[in-house]
Amino acid sequence: MTNPTNLQTLNRLTASIENLRDGPHAARPVVTEIRPTKGLFDLELEGLWPYRELLGVLVKRDIQILYRQAALGIAWAILQPAFSVLIFAIIFGHFAKMPSDGIPYPIFAFAGVLPWTYFAEALRRSSNGLVSEAELIRKVYFPRLLVPVAGVIAPALDFFVGLVILLGLMLVYGVMPTWNLLAVVPLLALAGFQALAIGLWLGPINVRFRDIKYTLPFLIQIWMYASPIVYPLSLIPKEWHWLYSLNPMVGVIEGFRWAIAGGTFNVLPLLISVAVGSVLIVGGLVFFKHMERTFADVI
Amino acid sequence: MTKNLAISARGLGKRYRLGSSLSGHDSLRDLIQAGARSLFRQPAKDPKPRAEFWALDDVSFDIERGENVGIIGLNGAGKSTLLKILSRIVTPTEGTARIEGRLGALLEVGTGFHHELTGRENVYLYGAILGMSRQEVDRKFDAIVEFSEIADFIDTPVKRYSSGMYVRLAFSVAAHLEPDILLLDEVLAVGDFTFQRKCMDFAHALERKGATILFVSHNMFSIKSMCQRVIYLKKGKVVYDGPTDEGLKVYESDCRLAAAPWFYPDAGGKRVSITDIALRDSSGQDRSVFDFGEQMTIQVQINALDEIEDPNVIISITREDEVHCGSFSSSMEGLKIDRMSGVGTIELTTPPLKLVSDKYTISVVVRERGFEKMLSAQIGTSFHVKHDFLSETAFGVFYEPASWRIAEMETRSKQA
Repeated sequence: MTNPTNLQTLNRLTASIENLRDGPHAARPVVTEIRPTKGLFDLELEGLWPYRELLGVLVKRDIQILYRQAALGIAWAILQPAFSVLIFAIIFGHFAKMPSDGIPYPIFAFAGVLPWTYFAEALRRSSNGLVSEAELIRKVYFPRLLVPVAGVIAPALDFFVGLVILLGLMLVYGVMPTWNLLAVVPLLALAGFQALAIGLWLGPINVRFRDIKYTLPFLIQIWMYASPIVYPLSLIPKEWHWLYSLNPMVGVIEGFRWAIAGGTFNVLPLLISVAVGSVLIVGGLVFFKHMERTFADVI
Repeated sequence: MTKNLAISARGLGKRYRLGSSLSGHDSLRDLIQAGARSLFRQPAKDPKPRAEFWALDDVSFDIERGENVGIIGLNGAGKSTLLKILSRIVTPTEGTARIEGRLGALLEVGTGFHHELTGRENVYLYGAILGMSRQEVDRKFDAIVEFSEIADFIDTPVKRYSSGMYVRLAFSVAAHLEPDILLLDEVLAVGDFTFQRKCMDFAHALERKGATILFVSHNMFSIKSMCQRVIYLKKGKVVYDGPTDEGLKVYESDCRLAAAPWFYPDAGGKRVSITDIALRDSSGQDRSVFDFGEQMTIQVQINALDEIEDPNVIISITREDEVHCGSFSSSMEGLKIDRMSGVGTIELTTPPLKLVSDKYTISVVVRERGFEKMLSAQIGTSFHVKHDFLSETAFGVFYEPASWRIAEMETRSKQA
């Protein structure tokens, strides 16, 4: 009469649940308070810690997906910046004779393109992430802040693959790496910090107005030419450096050039970059937290 | 703490704005246009005035550890909103709730699965999303895979899975979450019968372990079998909170009749309405649960302000999953009347019900001149059929014992 496989399954389920319930968490009851927002600076950052594993899982997922379907896989991490550098080297380096602070132009351009590519991808992911996770946000609770943070971490892998290529290229051009190279890691973190700071603003706006998705590529392109990637900072008149450096990526990219090829280290753009990024990220956190409460309602 | 509370909610409320200036604009262009319009003219006849809608309004309750509580109410009464607030997906507009213990919310199975990833990767992903640690998933991985019955495909991307495999794997992960408090939305069990059954047994197993369960369902049968207590929500407010039997009575008397969504009365047509549909047993008692093989009397109250020519009353039985199980027609079955008007009752006594145990709904249609014109239609009372030996896993619509014969095979029976 009844389907025997169903009964078997049921028994198995029951057994398996009963065996498993050793319940270490039963000993320490977790208390969750649900309430409306308290105030502007009610950021609930302490609530992120229990979800650190989920952050890792989300980053891992993003990386897996990125390379799973692409036939060239990880090669894309190389091809994308490599082609930009090739084009820049031909047009700006060869024809336009762009000054490059005495560094071979391809190295000069690569040292700018590499952090920029990372920044652009991190910004794109942290701004669009919430919308692409709409299904999840509507059905499951987790701190929404994980989405832009994961979006900023995942593209770092591409960055390191590109860095290996850059090191190879340096050997070809006879530019010897120095201990300065270690500065690449904190500079990468700073680039991620900047992308997150802006992503925290654009992400929630994107939830409301999907226009951001269309505006972003445009914004990134303009921003690239407003950053010292194909040209050196020294091309800008010294008295305007402070204004130019309000673009928080100026300090990051200049720092990169120094880490890769040495030369003089410009402290001012880096300090301005950190300051601008800090202001943006604090404001971004408040804004994000404020908007987060309505994500599931409007997404 | 004096009392051992699992959930304590105080004045929970959730407001949504309808047609408000923000939610109405889905692109910046609309916002800019609206802004420009209001600059040059006085607000151009605002399409909808700012309306507020409280999906949940001043909801308070305490649920003790180990208690199973059913949340009932019509669609849009705020049941899902309540579960979403308790699972922290949406934030309440006002009020607070305190939840003690690990909370698992199964509002939908498998959200968070990624199509490009393999079954194995998705187990870890979905486990993390539901709040399990990596070690926990490691420890339970074999049990999860074994239960899902798709061990052979665990390293295949889930995009190649059938929908059944997909759901089985997702549910299997969720079933091993072992929450202290489980929020269960029955919506997730819709469709697949076996799966629905699995959900229920999963909940029962947790119950035996002392978990607290909050269960949203339209199926009064499951509510009855699971919960000693129900909270009945109506338009966002708690209208009943107490023992299940009494709560279901309140609820059922409230939602006896609903207009048939497919019925549109003719303009200037005859004014005929169905005012009540009652289900009685052979002794004349109101009933909502019938035994297999029992006869049921359906009393339909009709108010015909205009005279109906050659009336035909059709009573149909529909199973919960919208399977049409059968219908009775007064004119086909020999109740010949030329004209009918006024207020009164039409009564039908069914043959012994041989339906398998499930939830069924009666709907009544009044037609004129055989099948020519539809005058009124009403979806009415629901009832359950209870069966001693046919469980809910029995498939099909009806059951009738048959006679069996085996020919030309060697058979052997155990001698007693």
